[in-house]
Amino acid sequence: MTALDTAAATAAPVLLKVEHLCMRFGGLLAVNDVSFTAKAGQITAVIGPNGAGKTTVFNCITGFYRPSAGRLSFRGDDGTVHLLERLPGYRIAGIGVARTFQNIRLFPRMSVLENLMVAQHRPLMRASAFSVAGLLGLPSYRKAEREGVELARHWLERTGLVDVADWEAGNLPYGAQRRLEIARAMCTRPQLLCLDEPAAGLNPRESAELADLLRSIRDGEGIGVLLIEHDMSVVMTISDHVVVLDYGRKIAEGSPEAVRSDAAVIKAYLGEDEDDPLPPEVAADLGVRVDGEGA
Amino acid sequence: MEYFLQQLINGLTLGAIYGLIAIGYTMVYGIIGMINFAHGEIYMIGAFVAVIAFIVLGLAGITWAPAAIALVLLLSMAFTAVYGWTVERFAYRPLRGAPRLAPLISAIGMSILLQNYVQLLQGARVKPIPPVVQGGFTIIERADGFAVNISYLQILIILTTVALMAGFTALINGTPLGRAQRACEQDKKMAGLLGVDVDRTISLTFVMGAALAAVAGVMVTMYYGVIDFFIGFLAGVKAFTAAVLGGIGSLPGAMLGGLAIGLIEAFWSGYFSIEYKDVAAFSILVLVLIFRPTGLLGRPEIEKV
Amino acid sequence: MTAATLNAGASRSVLPAALKEAAIAAVVALALTLPFVGLRTVDSPQGLTVVTRFGEVAIAVALVFIGRLGLVLVREGYAAAVLGASIAAAVVFWLAPFPTPPLRVIALGGAGVIAIRAALKLRDMRGGAAGQQARDNRADRFAAKVQELTRWLGPLVVLFAVALPFMPFAGRSVIDIGILLLTYIMLGWGLNIIVGYAGLLDLGYVAFYAVGAYSYALLAQYFGWSFWACLPLAGVLAAMAGLMLGFPVLRLRGDYFAIVTLGFGEIIRIVLLNWYDFTGGPNGISGIPRPDFFGIADFTRNPAEGKVAFHEMFGLEFDPLQRIIFLYYLILVLALAVNFFTLRIRKLPIGRAWEALREDEIACTALGIDRTRIKLAAFSISAMWGGFAGAFFATRQGFISPESFTFLESAIILAIVVLGGMGSQVGVVVATLIVIGLPEAFRELSEYRMLAFGMGMVLIMVWRPSGLLAHREPTVLLHGGRDARRKRAAAEARA
Repeated sequence: MTALDTAAATAAPVLLKVEHLCMRFGGLLAVNDVSFTAKAGQITAVIGPNGAGKTTVFNCITGFYRPSAGRLSFRGDDGTVHLLERLPGYRIAGIGVARTFQNIRLFPRMSVLENLMVAQHRPLMRASAFSVAGLLGLPSYRKAEREGVELARHWLERTGLVDVADWEAGNLPYGAQRRLEIARAMCTRPQLLCLDEPAAGLNPRESAELADLLRSIRDGEGIGVLLIEHDMSVVMTISDHVVVLDYGRKIAEGSPEAVRSDAAVIKAYLGEDEDDPLPPEVAADLGVRVDGEGA
Repeated sequence: MEYFLQQLINGLTLGAIYGLIAIGYTMVYGIIGMINFAHGEIYMIGAFVAVIAFIVLGLAGITWAPAAIALVLLLSMAFTAVYGWTVERFAYRPLRGAPRLAPLISAIGMSILLQNYVQLLQGARVKPIPPVVQGGFTIIERADGFAVNISYLQILIILTTVALMAGFTALINGTPLGRAQRACEQDKKMAGLLGVDVDRTISLTFVMGAALAAVAGVMVTMYYGVIDFFIGFLAGVKAFTAAVLGGIGSLPGAMLGGLAIGLIEAFWSGYFSIEYKDVAAFSILVLVLIFRPTGLLGRPEIEKV
Repeated sequence: MTAATLNAGASRSVLPAALKEAAIAAVVALALTLPFVGLRTVDSPQGLTVVTRFGEVAIAVALVFIGRLGLVLVREGYAAAVLGASIAAAVVFWLAPFPTPPLRVIALGGAGVIAIRAALKLRDMRGGAAGQQARDNRADRFAAKVQELTRWLGPLVVLFAVALPFMPFAGRSVIDIGILLLTYIMLGWGLNIIVGYAGLLDLGYVAFYAVGAYSYALLAQYFGWSFWACLPLAGVLAAMAGLMLGFPVLRLRGDYFAIVTLGFGEIIRIVLLNWYDFTGGPNGISGIPRPDFFGIADFTRNPAEGKVAFHEMFGLEFDPLQRIIFLYYLILVLALAVNFFTLRIRKLPIGRAWEALREDEIACTALGIDRTRIKLAAFSISAMWGGFAGAFFATRQGFISPESFTFLESAIILAIVVLGGMGSQVGVVVATLIVIGLPEAFRELSEYRMLAFGMGMVLIMVWRPSGLLAHREPTVLLHGGRDARRKRAAAEARA
């Protein structure tokens, strides 16, 4: 684990180290030898065109797929290093990796608050002594339950959902459901928050609010955020580090500024023929100066 | 050896019948992803229509076996198909898009309903009919008198099944109906947008499944010569086991699974104990579902995240 | 556009189309009824023969034709006329002679259904919101009201149940029906844990009922153990059976899981049926000891040497009813224990995890919930209550055989849960009264019981797939209190 140790010596400690990750579905190599790191207190973005293998990488990290090859080491808050590829899916949340889903997965018929209480299943289950203390209504469990509700209230306030706390989650408007999913992930008290296209389907105002929320999570909690995103305006404004995938391979990595001027990235997003003028909105998103458009 | 051969023949006959019923399960599962729990009852209905038709034909003086069998087959398939259509129309179609378990519960209700409907109208007593086809070949006769027989009826059952299977495969692979059906299996919404009448295709799937179950019902009526209103449950579970064993959604799989279940049952009752032959079928069902839920010929299902 | 102008414009083309649709339905009805209603197989000296009942077929076909026509006309906006006609028809059917009573029931029922459909349509046409969504919302509001009512009605019902054996009208038969109902309520509540909360369709619940019953019967037969020693053991053994069966199958998807549990249920029944030496096979086990008064006193007139009789102990007259009343209280306590337990565990992390699993398994995994373990807990707890109920059943009957543990029994318990509304404790009680209570009340119609039962399952699923009284109250509220609840409901309805 020397690699992790030396990395920890530099400014921000490395939370997650992905090394030579490969994922094969039958004959298709969806992810091919991808390596990158995610640090605490930073927002790391994984971007790439459709079918680049972003979600597959994500599913490997969060335990939904077992990688064909490669190593995923994660440093828990007590300093022990876990190899994610060897853990069953449900254990991964337990050691501090939380995730959201591209197509929102709430518990639609449970209330907003209940969604957040389910997220605290593990600590509450321990407090209820596997239901014995809970069934007897012992004070120790009641206290734990109250603390759970307070944590939930904290995240409801941060995401602006306090007023609708007792609604059925399925009745919330779309944007609120996205925020609730993030609040739910935060209620597992993660070290690394993984977000799968959190801005998908949001309007520009909601996207901006989301960016603020993610920044405040990064700065306030000091945890790492790993996100997959299509919305370049979000990625470019909030990311500290960007990893670009194309056809399952990593083609570039670095700061947002470095990535947006990378030739391979432009080619991956815009195709081979560089003579074509860029559509202005794409150019604006990438921040690329296009010849002929002037400055 | 001779005993083995005899059980093989019996098992193949039984397996052909299970296979015919299993096709109904597998097609319905393929197209709307539900276990049509009432399908065993549809088969029972087919058997009852067969008994009634044999008696009516007997009263009408049509006793020449080939004509009688052909007519009974046609009548049973036609009437049973209407039952298949009605069951789908009333118990399942309103539940498209309902929670996944709702159609299954509805199907269980339908199964109880049909069983009691037949029991009320036709009585709870067993219904015997005189043998329609008698005789057969003796293949081997041992010195001690044990003979391996294959009856004309067994030959008829196996040949009919093979012919139906061939025709059916051609239907699915080669006609617009089959194409529509396969399209609905993949993506009902898209098929609908492309002009496939999805409701009609699903209805026809039930009609075809019911018609094949009716054939199985006719065969069983002739083979055992006695039926009652309760035969659907066990046959249904066994045929469903066959469909799962073969890989649910796959037509050749259903036939293969049917044969496997028939053979296992024949050998089990031939060599171990006849009391526990149903336990054998249920155990296979449980074991297959636990260890290889995709069956022999099914495609694996990936959990989408 | 109002309904009236809509009708005027369309009326000319509606009738032929409606007639055609009704004719098609009539042809289908003819095909359905001709072989089964029209030709009845009967035994005769020359073997099986048929008798005809074409009159009934004709009536059935005519009824379907009229009924279908009525429904089509309701759909096309002639609800008021159809409502009047169907009520008139109901009166006629009531008075007119029918060849068989069931036909009259069918005709009356059909007229009733059409009248209700027409009335609903009229209401929809008057008062804005229509369609499935609106109907679901209405039904949900109704269920919410019922649940709110239960808060104070529930204790009253329990008080009534406690006082029942001492009511003037409570004879032996009333108490027996009470025991029967409570047994099914207990089973329904037990199954509700796995089906209603955890969302796993268990089609073999009767297996655990059987394990409980045979545990007690066999322990009493071979070792002479008392009921009170065996009752907890029966629960533990059933729970262990649940663990053993559950472990391999709980990772299966919904409908596969259902079929495997059905398979297990049948395997257990067939083994009980064929293991003559141990279980008595189809003859079952008889002479199962009746319970005594907590091991202190017996419910017999002349107790054995060294035992005390219940009536002597309390200075009462001997009455065989005392034992029945004791059994009644026993099952009442057992059933209430299940209810209390369920209401309580629902608000604990494990209960929330069950419901979360029902909603989305993948999200649960992402939140660190071990699906298998949580499901296993639900499965074995549910099995445990089934085991308790089984031990009670054995001691009450004094005789058990595999006959009592068929798939149909599982289906009945499931129907109670589903009909009441999955996850609704009140629903189980109401559904038990309907499914078990009604047939007990109309004994002369008992041969139609299972038919109506199957039809009921289908109709409930079609009409309201989540059940009659399915309404979910959150297990924890941030903004408690009545006003907050009402405001939330209103806001949610708007959203």
